[in-house]
Amino acid sequence: MRGVLRLFAPRSYMDRQRRAGLLFVLPALVYFGLVFLVPLVESVVGSFHRIVPGGESRFVGLRLYQRVFTDSTFWQAVANTVSLLLMSVPVTVTLALAVALGLHRLRSVMARSAWAAMYFLPFSVSLVAAALIWQWMYDPLYGFLNHLLGLAGLPPLPWLQSLELVRPSLAIVNVWVRLGFDTVIFLAALQAIPADYYEAASIDGASARQALLRVTLPLLNPQIVMVTILELIFNFKMFATVYATTQGGPAGASQTVIMLLYDTAFKFFRLGDASVMAVFVFASLLLVTLVQWRLFRREVEY
Amino acid sequence: MAAGALCVFFPFFWMAVTSLKTVPEIQRVPLHIAPDRWTNLDNFREVFHRQPFARFLLNSALIAGVSAVSSVVVSSLAGYGFAKFRFPGHGVFFFAIVGILMVPFQSVVVPLYLWVSRLGLLDTYLGILAPDLVSVFGVFLMRQSIEVVPSDYIDAARIDGAGELRIFWRVILPSVKPALATLVIVKFMWTWNELFWPLIVVNSPSMKVVTLGLLSFTNMYFIEYNLVTAAAVVSILPILVVFLVGQKWVVRGVVLSGLKG
Repeated sequence: MRGVLRLFAPRSYMDRQRRAGLLFVLPALVYFGLVFLVPLVESVVGSFHRIVPGGESRFVGLRLYQRVFTDSTFWQAVANTVSLLLMSVPVTVTLALAVALGLHRLRSVMARSAWAAMYFLPFSVSLVAAALIWQWMYDPLYGFLNHLLGLAGLPPLPWLQSLELVRPSLAIVNVWVRLGFDTVIFLAALQAIPADYYEAASIDGASARQALLRVTLPLLNPQIVMVTILELIFNFKMFATVYATTQGGPAGASQTVIMLLYDTAFKFFRLGDASVMAVFVFASLLLVTLVQWRLFRREVEY
Repeated sequence: MAAGALCVFFPFFWMAVTSLKTVPEIQRVPLHIAPDRWTNLDNFREVFHRQPFARFLLNSALIAGVSAVSSVVVSSLAGYGFAKFRFPGHGVFFFAIVGILMVPFQSVVVPLYLWVSRLGLLDTYLGILAPDLVSVFGVFLMRQSIEVVPSDYIDAARIDGAGELRIFWRVILPSVKPALATLVIVKFMWTWNELFWPLIVVNSPSMKVVTLGLLSFTNMYFIEYNLVTAAAVVSILPILVVFLVGQKWVVRGVVLSGLKG
């Protein structure tokens, strides 16, 4: 307590240093407090309250949770989100690893960064632009993909307009957007692995495949875990791609959790229900992250 | 490798050629890849004519610019504080800030919207900027970068009688220029590409940002893809320039952080 008081009336050099440090971080603390911590607490509180006509809010316990969690629309959205994420996360991470390994083998630094930039390009544009570009690629009548199918003598596909294909189609957009991002992380990690390791492996008679499985992949473990977590989070929060294209359709087949949260809060103004979903999203992502770190993280030292 | 890169690039190419075509051209069977006239800029004229697209670009540039600058200022101050000072609550505060990375924006959006609305900031620049002024990534990045600036430099400046702000300005900032560049560029790109929050707080056409402006070309029953792609090209070009100029720093940012989820 005395320490805190002395921040306001510094006596020694050390006191002044402490005060200076605190003042430097103060703007950030205040900002994050106001923009994230306070609203997060309000979200949690709001999920236990109902606004009654007249603007008064009344404590209703778990009533809102009960309502949201017994709503089939909600679980449909959760199922859609999980199915989207199960399609795109493994594909993105695996492809990114493959691309990074390929780029890593290129000798010329110029070529490597040029190709890497090409893969990275989709990540740098907005999800809205990405989604619209793909919606045009997927166009049932004049889209390029159906043109390709036609050239191969196959019938056209309805892509975003079909109950079965809408989620795989959106997953492809996600993979396209995120591939370069993951690749860049893997590539940097690959370049940090000392060449001695591979020399040692080859002296011991390891084949290229063994070197990959026994040296490269284990050393990349932290990045693989991190990238997988980031992809899970990104895909779980999927919104802009869906909003710009299908708006959750057809027949709710691409309705995601965040789409539902958005509609509930800002279309139907059921803020309490939206708060329940907000808490659900927060809790799920926290859980996923913690479980992944606990289970898969192994420290790697070079 | 090259084939994959070309596949990844193809949708951009397809967008660009479509933006140069007329409606009969994009509906032609069999499909022609090249536009009839490579210099046909009618779609672009139409984009600016139908919507105040120049205004959208200006709004986005302003918002992304301010968010980049404010983010750099607040983050580098905080980064310096966390890297080179010890004070009561030091560990707890830093842990709390990093912990915010775990809070998805969507989980705080409803109360934030109510606050912005209560303060009368709906449909204003300040309202659009509110959650984008500082990012956790920035604080984290600046702390990491400032940590490796030798403390001897700081001590030497103190012995010379420089005040803390002066040290920050004259010693710290010049030594972390690459990190500052990374933060400015990455933050500018993020804010430029943002959709979720502007969608919620913007009502009037004159306050729309580019992402919202793009969507206004899809709000009809029949989507004119020649216009959609032209608008997409216009929305992407500025960010493409930023990306190409700052590629080195963007990549650095990605690698350093894994970015915000």
